Amino acid sequence: MKHFLVMCLFAALASVVFGVISKDTTRERWIYGVKVFAEFIIIGLALGWLLYFIP
Amino acid sequence: MVKSERLQGAPVEAISSTAWLIGLAAWFIPGSGHLLLKRWGRAAMMGGVVWLSFFIGLAMGGHMFDLSPDGATATSMFDWAVLIQVPPMIADLGTGIAYVVTWLLDISFKEDPVQAARTTYEYGTNFLLIAGLMNYLTMLDAFDVATGRKS
Repeated sequence: MKHFLVMCLFAALASVVFGVISKDTTRERWIYGVKVFAEFIIIGLALGWLLYFIP
Repeated sequence: MVKSERLQGAPVEAISSTAWLIGLAAWFIPGSGHLLLKRWGRAAMMGGVVWLSFFIGLAMGGHMFDLSPDGATATSMFDWAVLIQVPPMIADLGTGIAYVVTWLLDISFKEDPVQAARTTYEYGTNFLLIAGLMNYLTMLDAFDVATGRKS
């Protein structure tokens, strides 16, 4: 669980920066930031499960 | 219109020295570039994220990179193995004054087996690297705002 929380923290910090620098309006920034956050988490979990099955 | 024609027709914009100074300040003290531009929200968010990431990385016992050779494996005057430390050192250098201070105080630069054995060692190292890389993005954003390329 701790590992997942650290991953969430990492994703949150990175998505704030990506969101702020990437888009022009506040709404677009929020949407992009949330999208980047979700991508970090989903890809992280997918990679975690993939590596779990590799000996 | 092809790209080369567009480039020929486009006027060459002069970048003011203030923009370069703001870029330099943004690198050296994370968040200060946007503070100088009076972008308080961005300064708080982006500078805050960089500092937070840096201190979390330190608290987790992360390792910072410089070009000092590893004493155990060094065999000649110049140890080519240090070249592998260049990319992470560039990333760590992105934190500006934080890197300089920790380097001067020799915090997190030593190869310490006790520190490396911590569960959070790798996480901490990554947080430190990402803090520097995010500050490069912050610096470029401040520079773009200062030159008027971005609002």
